[in-house]
Amino acid sequence: MHYAFHFNVVWDHWRDLAEGAWLTIELSAIAMTIGLVLATVCAYGKAAGPSAIRWAIATYVEIIRNTPFLVQIFIIYFSLPALGISVGANEAAIAAMVVNFGAYGTEILRAGIESIPHGQIDAAKAIGLSRLQTFRHVVLFPAVKTIFPALASQFILLMLASSVVSAISAVELTAATNSLVSTTFRPFEFYFVATGLYLMMALAFRAALGGVFWMVFMRGQQV
Amino acid sequence: MRICLKHLGMVVAAVASVVLTAHTASAESTLDKILSAKKIRVAIDVANPPFGILDKSGQPDGSDVAVARQIAKDLGAEIEFVQVPSTGRIPALLAGRADVTIASISVTTDRAKAVMYCNPNGALSITIFAPQSVKIKTPADLVGKRIGITRATLEEATVPKMAPEGTKIVWFDDLASTVQALLSGQVDAAAMTAFAEKTVADANPAKQLENKLLVTTAFYGPIVRPGDFELRQWINTWIFINSRNGTLATIYKKYTGIDLPPLPTI
Repeated sequence: MHYAFHFNVVWDHWRDLAEGAWLTIELSAIAMTIGLVLATVCAYGKAAGPSAIRWAIATYVEIIRNTPFLVQIFIIYFSLPALGISVGANEAAIAAMVVNFGAYGTEILRAGIESIPHGQIDAAKAIGLSRLQTFRHVVLFPAVKTIFPALASQFILLMLASSVVSAISAVELTAATNSLVSTTFRPFEFYFVATGLYLMMALAFRAALGGVFWMVFMRGQQV
Repeated sequence: MRICLKHLGMVVAAVASVVLTAHTASAESTLDKILSAKKIRVAIDVANPPFGILDKSGQPDGSDVAVARQIAKDLGAEIEFVQVPSTGRIPALLAGRADVTIASISVTTDRAKAVMYCNPNGALSITIFAPQSVKIKTPADLVGKRIGITRATLEEATVPKMAPEGTKIVWFDDLASTVQALLSGQVDAAAMTAFAEKTVADANPAKQLENKLLVTTAFYGPIVRPGDFELRQWINTWIFINSRNGTLATIYKKYTGIDLPPLPTI
């Protein structure tokens, strides 16, 4: 078998690829932000909430972490209209990514929270900090610092998993690539380029998250 | 992660096949290999009723599958099905994962730039399909409506060209998703083969789905890799024999319920 590569076809369609890559970045960034808020709320609820809330959060986390992402996306996209809620593909994709990241993020944050020595929390109570103040300053901040690498990896996984949302017609990078493959019949050229773009975006996200880590946790600290 | 893995697999297969087989191009033909190994690998799409489906026991069935089985039998070869989504029908062949794709691939000049068509072994119509309540009488009525189509299908090649500006075309990766989007109301109408529409309409009588517009009628045939002339010639001979002895017409009628129109040759 011989296959002649024609990479000039890719350049003819760079606009479609760039638009797809940009939507991947947008979906990922929005889902990361909202997902982190959701994970933080759930981690707090799991650490300090009443037992009914703890039980509800544990159920949510286990259901999401033990079912395929693709199935979660299909359920959100195809079942919401039946409930009378009209959502577009992009909104459904973000909702699915937030719900998915929220569950993994909750568990990652929980691990960080459990790494905080109990004496530190007792000390915070002793100096009169409220429960929320204790959580924010004494628990969450050092916990996030400890688990930041795991959190960053989960962010990258979320960005890569966004390729699945092409299944519900969101035109992100994988969808754009699939469309171009099916209209130009140059699969290898486009899949190679898409692979390169995903790699570049993952490295860029990693660098940006490293920058956030330095800004929030390292700057101004003398070791 | 199904799709990620699929794509990773394709890339790995692509790299492997380009690297491993680049210098064996002039060795024995694909037909020779099939005959000596007594095995033929056929790419099929089992999410495309009535051409490719899974029967109640999970085995491949449908008119494409019946044709593939008969071809393998007449080659004296064991058949190995390579199940692909509609988007994978050409890539699987080009990556060397299959010797031939028999998945009702309608003949277009664009596809013929990438693969070689054998003579047509069937025909299909593409129409716009929607619930009775959706008003579509002419192409102009498509403006402002969301029309679901499946990637890498004849509908993708024809619907965007006939739809006027202002039509919102929504792409899905496989027919099952397109159908689900229509049934759940995520799209107002969908384009697919008339046969697929019949299957969907029969399964969902409450939705009152009906044909709205004819988009095109086309012939489809098996495809082989560029340069596989021996295999193409053998399949064309098979199609010639079996269109004359009635085998193709019998298979077509059994699965589609209509008579096979006279088949032209390429």
